[in-house]
Amino acid sequence: MLIPLSYTLRSLFVRKSATLLTVFGIGATVAVLAGVLALRAGFTSLFSSSGRDDIAVFIRQGASSEGESGITRETCDRIIKTLPQIAREGGPEGTPLAAMECYLAVRRQKADGSGETNVPLRGVQPASFAIQGDALRIIAGRKLTPGSDEVIVGQKLVDRIANSRLDDVVQVNTTPFRVVGVFACDGPSESEIWGDVERMMAALERPVANRVVAQLALDCQGDAFAAFAKQLTESADYKELLVMAKTERVYLAEMAGPLGTTLWYVSAVLSVIMGLAAIFTATNTMLSAVASRTHEIGILLSIGFRPLPIFLSFLFEALLLGLVGGAVGCLMALPVNGIETGTTNFATFTEVAFAFRVTPEVLWSAIRFALILGLLGGAIPAWKAARLAPTEALRRR
Amino acid sequence: MFNFKLVRRYLGKHLVRSLLTVASLMVALFLLCLLQAIVVSLDAGVRGAKRDRLIVQSAVSLFVDLPLNYQQKIGAVDGVESICKWQYFGGHFQDDEKGYFAQFATDFDTLFACYPEIEVVEGSKEALLADRTACIVGKSLADRLGWKLGDSIPLEATFFAKPDGSAWDFKLAATYRPTSTAMDGGMMFFRWDYLEETVKATRGETPGTGTYVFRTRAGADQAPIAATVEALFENGPQRVSCSTEAAFQAQFVSMYGNLPFFVSAIGGGVLVAIVLACINTMLMAFREQLHDAGILKAVGFTDGSVATLMLAQSLVLCGIGGFAGIGLAKLTEPVMQLMLTRFGVPYEVPAETVALASALTISIGLVAGVVPAWRARQLRVVEALRSVE
Repeated sequence: MLIPLSYTLRSLFVRKSATLLTVFGIGATVAVLAGVLALRAGFTSLFSSSGRDDIAVFIRQGASSEGESGITRETCDRIIKTLPQIAREGGPEGTPLAAMECYLAVRRQKADGSGETNVPLRGVQPASFAIQGDALRIIAGRKLTPGSDEVIVGQKLVDRIANSRLDDVVQVNTTPFRVVGVFACDGPSESEIWGDVERMMAALERPVANRVVAQLALDCQGDAFAAFAKQLTESADYKELLVMAKTERVYLAEMAGPLGTTLWYVSAVLSVIMGLAAIFTATNTMLSAVASRTHEIGILLSIGFRPLPIFLSFLFEALLLGLVGGAVGCLMALPVNGIETGTTNFATFTEVAFAFRVTPEVLWSAIRFALILGLLGGAIPAWKAARLAPTEALRRR
Repeated sequence: MFNFKLVRRYLGKHLVRSLLTVASLMVALFLLCLLQAIVVSLDAGVRGAKRDRLIVQSAVSLFVDLPLNYQQKIGAVDGVESICKWQYFGGHFQDDEKGYFAQFATDFDTLFACYPEIEVVEGSKEALLADRTACIVGKSLADRLGWKLGDSIPLEATFFAKPDGSAWDFKLAATYRPTSTAMDGGMMFFRWDYLEETVKATRGETPGTGTYVFRTRAGADQAPIAATVEALFENGPQRVSCSTEAAFQAQFVSMYGNLPFFVSAIGGGVLVAIVLACINTMLMAFREQLHDAGILKAVGFTDGSVATLMLAQSLVLCGIGGFAGIGLAKLTEPVMQLMLTRFGVPYEVPAETVALASALTISIGLVAGVVPAWRARQLRVVEALRSVE
């Protein structure tokens, strides 16, 4: 026969101060973990949610990001004009939906005066906009005029980086560019400055571009694209291009990889270290619960309860402590949801702005963590309670 | 009538609970030291920067190179002494996870003139000048990757990739150890002429350099020198910014954004959890010792000494746990250093962190002990004696 749950609940209420202190202790631990997980969720979802499978990114072979890549104009031209895998606007003879882009992390002052950071500056062609389609929206001002010294800025930059409001001037080496528009889109591009590729390359005195981005033809997606990408690096036909291709989704996921992994390690190390401390605390609380109820346990045993139900009862009490602690921790972590922050993504060496996201997965991980803390903290005390000899236990006051 | 034996007996009576409390404090203080040390380490480069060194870099981007003829023009500015170039190579060693380190092309004679804190420990400066592919690496890096003098080090290039995609070969000719903790002891330097000639031969272009570093003449006023250098290239071809080494390092720290704040927030969470745990333990102890406290008072212990007994238990418990944690953080310093080198962060638990952690330890002991001590003091003998454990 099992011990009624109400017995467990009442026991928690009787020892109010110990219960509260343990719950908040576990809560603080869980809140910290949930905070780190929410940071990671915000960062990775920015990259993973926006990449498309029907867009290809061409960069130099061996380059780990477009910043490291360099592709000559001639090569870019050949890729754009000759590859049949690239979609064309208005039938087979139309203009290819592909753009040569240059990319550079430029030094910019932060708007709050706290120093400088690196902002991605991208030189684009009209096709860059055509590929993005409706996903990229101008929310203030207008689009940049091709061939002019104008730029548009991603909306995340407006408040973070100095000189990124409408009509401000962005100085690139010796050339001033005027901000004519602010754009919004999903993904990390919202932290970028876009200008005309020819003007950018001239202003930066850079002879080579960084990447070609292209809309894939309908018959070159999925497996067909994978086969094409393999050919590109292995077949003799493409050898002199020296480029490789990835879908935008894969490319962006790779950009999120290093920091995402680092944050995962940080949360793992924190949960182990902080978890240990929390388990010790829970064990203490439960040991004292067992000690103060030794007499009761003796009574329970002598009226016929088996050791197993007693073990389960105390384990349940510990789990309940963990669960309530986890819930408190989640509540404490909730307010960080949506808080905007920025950090340097060392995969691209540029700052990217993103928001904490307390997702259901984050909360579920936090609750699971809290339950594990309760379980591990309650195991030994519950075992001790179940092993008590009835006569011994009854003799205690 | 303070009796330390009583403190010991009480803590020993509930040995398991005492040990668990000590263990959780140890873990928490270890973590606090670790987090604080990381925050402090982030700007070690700023604090340790040499005052007589100025750095010239592109005003546009970290990834834009400066023309080679800038060196002679900057060198001619009044007050500038021994100028050297640093070009980031950005190569990857085979196993990138374990093997990341920064490599720079430079001229060795000027590098050593600008950086007296680079101390050659194996090999010699002569060996570096004898072989075009010679390189010098940090002793700690060589130990980590198991390199010996004379070893060949192949690197896969990124910015300086050869058209055929083949690796660059370097020969380990010397190792160094920085005499200042602010300098990264895990970098690699190789000869500028090797870089220049190889890039010319394979790509037909002359490479530029990322930064110029120069020392100023002793006693020279640096601000006008920096302004003169910046003015030299105001109209291109590449505009430059010239800053002190501290300001140069600070720009990398500022890249971390809110990171230091987040780390401190985590530390705050740890602290809250551990304070609650210690209060919990001491309240348990108080409840158990209620009866005893009555007896002590009945036999003549003063209110103060009974309170002191409670407080002393808290302080001893927290002291043991806290200082064990601080000791652990100090002990694991070499391991952590090894783990963090790949991020280029010098790690050490500095004296101020130890001091802060010690102060926290004692504060936790006081906070956890003060309520039970106060209640023990207020205790009325009859009530205490009536209570059962």
